Amino acid sequence: MAGELEGSKSLSGLLSGLAQEAFHGHQGITEELLRSQLYPEVSLEEFRPFLAKMRGILKSIASADMDFNQLEAFLTAQTKKQGGITSDQAAVISKFWKSHKTKIRESLMNQSRWDSGLRGLSWRIDGKSQSRHSAQIHTPVAIMELEIGKSGQNQDQFRLWIKRTALCLKDKQASNLKGKYSLVFNLHNSGAPGWHSR
Amino acid sequence: RPGPGGARPLLVAGQLIDFQWKLGVAISADSCKSLKLPCVTVALKVADGSGNITCKTFEMTVPQFQNFYSQFKEMASVLETF
Repeated sequence: MAGELEGSKSLSGLLSGLAQEAFHGHQGITEELLRSQLYPEVSLEEFRPFLAKMRGILKSIASADMDFNQLEAFLTAQTKKQGGITSDQAAVISKFWKSHKTKIRESLMNQSRWDSGLRGLSWRIDGKSQSRHSAQIHTPVAIMELEIGKSGQNQDQFRLWIKRTALCLKDKQASNLKGKYSLVFNLHNSGAPGWHSR
Repeated sequence: RPGPGGARPLLVAGQLIDFQWKLGVAISADSCKSLKLPCVTVALKVADGSGNITCKTFEMTVPQFQNFYSQFKEMASVLETF
């Protein structure tokens, strides 16, 4: 019954299911599962376009990373459209986005990271060693182990020896990078909705 | 994390001879029109015992880079004490 679909009771659950499937990569959340769990009185033929509409709305909101003003404007427009949503439904969607926005954005960002990432890092410093034949055979050295790879795949391991002079140089380079990064961070932090620090 | 005797094979070991970086912001993607994703890409040049040079690149998120940077600083300060 169309009345069932217009209600907002099950919509929250539907949006959760849609988010799991569309953003968080959850397999196995089918149309039929959502229908039977949330809208059992509705036929699949009627449910399908409704689901598509809600999925489209959620994807538009997430893709544009709407702030609350944009969200209200967008949802209001949807309520005025032919075959759009009710104002109750708009309220449910709005509430859902506000509480799930951060997690959904994070999943979307992860989907866009295609190259190998740094999965692990550990280090130690080896001090001087001696042997029977020479008083000093090693100068102090930092040993760093990096695990680099894509999520869900085997990681490559890198063990690096870093001598003291090299480390100071790299530290300076890293410090330059940090300075540059702060600049970008601040540019994006001011008035950029959806950019959050962790 | 596996140590030296751990399960994962050690693929590259050597002396760090150079590290380069680049900072980028991904603006948009097909899955997400408004992305605004800062990303640090690092390229490490490592020389093994025979002088063979390998270059490895990887990405870091902003918090990861902050951690990476602070680890570097810590190593440098410990090395200073020797």
